[in-house]
Amino acid sequence: MATAIPSIACLGVIGRNNNPLHTSIFPSYDPSNNSFRPVRTPLQFSLILSSTLDVFELRSRQNAAAGVGLTGDFGLLHAVDDRLAAYGFETNTGTRFVVIIDMRGRRIDGALAAGLDGRDRRLAGAAAGLREGEMRPVFKAMQGAYIRLLQNPFFDPDEHSPPTGQGGAKITNKKFADDMRRIGEAWTPGITNL
Amino acid sequence: MASSKASRLGEEYVWRTRMDKVNAELVVLTYGAMVAQLCKDFDSDYVKVNQQLDKMGYNIGLRLIEDYLAKSNTFKRCSNFRETAEMIAKVGFKIFLNITPTITNWTSDGKQFSLVFDENPFADFVELPDDGRAQDELWYSNILCGVLRGALEMVQMQVEAKFVSDVLRGNDTTEMRISLIRYIDDELPPEDD
Repeated sequence: MATAIPSIACLGVIGRNNNPLHTSIFPSYDPSNNSFRPVRTPLQFSLILSSTLDVFELRSRQNAAAGVGLTGDFGLLHAVDDRLAAYGFETNTGTRFVVIIDMRGRRIDGALAAGLDGRDRRLAGAAAGLREGEMRPVFKAMQGAYIRLLQNPFFDPDEHSPPTGQGGAKITNKKFADDMRRIGEAWTPGITNL
Repeated sequence: MASSKASRLGEEYVWRTRMDKVNAELVVLTYGAMVAQLCKDFDSDYVKVNQQLDKMGYNIGLRLIEDYLAKSNTFKRCSNFRETAEMIAKVGFKIFLNITPTITNWTSDGKQFSLVFDENPFADFVELPDDGRAQDELWYSNILCGVLRGALEMVQMQVEAKFVSDVLRGNDTTEMRISLIRYIDDELPPEDD
């Protein structure tokens, strides 16, 4: 018997003007025809990402009032349905990273999972829900990639999040997109370093 | 070679004890901002940008050579251009940037060589603009050419220094070609190799 484990369905980066900077979509396993394809259309993912904005705003106001949440990790933002869940991270500059998890995105052999220990059993048992802090390596890797992008002198941050507070261009950097792809494909529950 | 090992330790010592250090990211970001601004000011005329970087480097080199001579404890002149190359790569670059480029591709007359940079502290994180021309025209670290030209001119060597490949452009290596044009004064003995 096969067990479903979570995988990343979508990675989103949102600028401080609530403008989309980057979206990567990853295919999930589809048992009906034994193939991989995204569970939603790009538009639907875009809407889910937009819907996290209110949660971010609410949480950051609450956090500011309570004086907590200094790490920027906002944890689970909202569970979209029984399959998709959105996790968020906000930097002090207002750039937000969103990870949309598909709780049944991958299959592993259940018999195999029963004989495993430690990380692997956690991995197999993770289908019930993700533990606190499970997304930390993902956010850390995304932030690392974003920092590398900003260090490039030919990248102009003002072009992507103008101080006027209106709009901004998407990130077209190939290396950044490759980094996002690598992070989304490499992550499995229990992984500690990306 | 015992002597070369001893001198290697010497450079390490100079680098550790006598040189003032700055944060590497400060250097990377400052240089990067400067190049990016030049590109903007010259409307992405990269040939001009290269020239400007070379000029700036030249002015740095004219001054830096004194510091080099003082810090490196160099008392005697290099007897030939090969020795000069060794000193540039193993002492100069070591004490100022803490890197040691490799010297290769000597011409048989001993007047031209290449410095191959395994690491280039200026180019960390850098990606050239994606406008289809920068990859072919801009030499991002061109300031280094000017520095060498300026510094060597102060010690009576007229050289031409230019990059011939750069990993930022997608080449396998970063290579600078240095050619000796002439010794400015005739007080030096002629080349003996």
